[in-house]
Amino acid sequence: MSKKLLYLIVGIMTVMACEKDDFCTENPVTPKLILRFYDDANPQNVKAVQRLSIIGQGITDSLFTNQNIDSISIPLNSAASSTTYILKMNDGNGSTASNQVETVTISYDISDTFISRSCGFKANFENVILTGSGNWIKNITPINTSSLDDQSQAHVQIFH
Amino acid sequence: MCRYFISICLVLGLGLSIQAQRTSEETKKEPNDTMIYKSPYGLRLGIDISKPIKASLDQSYSGFEIVGDYRISKRFFIAAEIGYEEENTVEDYSNSTAKGSYMRVGFNFNSYKNWLDMNNEIFLGMRYGLSFFDQTLNSYTTNITDPDIGIYFPPNTVTTPQTSSLHAHWTEFVVGIKSEVLQNTFIGLSVSYKILVSSKEPENFKTLYAPGFNRIFESGTGFGFNYTVSYLIPFKKK
Repeated sequence: MSKKLLYLIVGIMTVMACEKDDFCTENPVTPKLILRFYDDANPQNVKAVQRLSIIGQGITDSLFTNQNIDSISIPLNSAASSTTYILKMNDGNGSTASNQVETVTISYDISDTFISRSCGFKANFENVILTGSGNWIKNITPINTSSLDDQSQAHVQIFH
Repeated sequence: MCRYFISICLVLGLGLSIQAQRTSEETKKEPNDTMIYKSPYGLRLGIDISKPIKASLDQSYSGFEIVGDYRISKRFFIAAEIGYEEENTVEDYSNSTAKGSYMRVGFNFNSYKNWLDMNNEIFLGMRYGLSFFDQTLNSYTTNITDPDIGIYFPPNTVTTPQTSSLHAHWTEFVVGIKSEVLQNTFIGLSVSYKILVSSKEPENFKTLYAPGFNRIFESGTGFGFNYTVSYLIPFKKK
C-alpha cells in the first residue's frame, strides 16, 4: 500500500514540476492608443492618410514612416503624464516642400497594475486627452478614452 | 461473443488460482521467530544543512532550519521544522525580497521494514506549514514591451521600496529517506510538494516567495528539498 502511495506522490510531483510558469502570454501587457482617420468633409467615411510618418518628440527613431493607412496604434510614454507625437503627412507630390506636420499632445492619468510574475506591471492610461496643433488635423473626437484596456477598436477618431 | 466468454473464464480462473496459491502460502508459514530486536524511541533533533550550503553559493539567499521528530509508535513519527529564510527574487520586471520565519508540523510514516536492529526509514509524511514574513518590492519596471514595435519610450522604473507584512498557510506532502550512519546519528534526504491554502497578498503585487514554502508557482504550489543531519536522544527501547 505505502509503496503505491510513494509512486503516486512521486508521479504527481513529476507532472507538476513541468508546469509552465515563466511565460507571459499576455502580449502586449500595456495597452496602446488606437487612432482612426476619417474624412473631414464626409465624417462617415474612413480616409487613409497619405505618406504618414510618426515620431515621438524627443525620440530619435520614427515609429513608422511613409505609410498610407487609416488606423494606427501608438504607445504612450509610461514614465510621463503626457506624450507628444509629430505626425507628418504628404498628400501632394511627395516632395519635402509639400509635407504637412501636426503636433499632437496626449495627456493622461497613469497608474500601474500588477499582472503576474512573468508579465510584471501594466501601465493604465486613464482620462486620455488629445490636443492637436490644428494644421492638417481638423477635429479630434474621443470615443472611448476613459481607459485604453479595450484594444479591439479605436479610442479616438481623427478627422482630416 | 464466444471469445469474450473464454477470456472471462480465463480471468476468473486466473483469479481463483492466485487465491489458491495464497492459501497454500499461508498454511506453509513457519511459526514466528522468538528473537525480538528492540528499536530506540526518542527525540531526534537536527539541522537542514542544504540551507547554509545554498546560502554560501547563492548571494541572494540565506536560511536556517532546525528539524525534529518524536517517535510515537513503530511506524509513526511526529515531525516539525522551524526556520528562517530570506530570499531576493529577481524577475524580468520586478525585484522583491521576502524574509521571515516559518514552522511546519505534521507526521512521518515509515514504510520501510528494517532488518534486524537497523533504524533506517523510507518515509511518507504530511505537514501543515505556517509562515510570517515581510515582502519588500524593491523596484519594478512597467512592462511596455510590444511584439510589433519593441520598446519605443523608455519604461517607467519605480525604485521606492514597498514593504508589506504577510502570512501564508499551506499543506505539504513529504517523501524521503533517513539512514543511521553512526550510532544515533542520521542523515536524511527528502522532497516535498506544497499546496498553498491561504495567504495574505500585498496590495497591487503578489507573494512570489514565502519562507518555508519557497517559490510560489502560478497555481499556488511549491516544492521543497531538505538534507538533514540529526541526532537521536534515545529515551527508551521498545
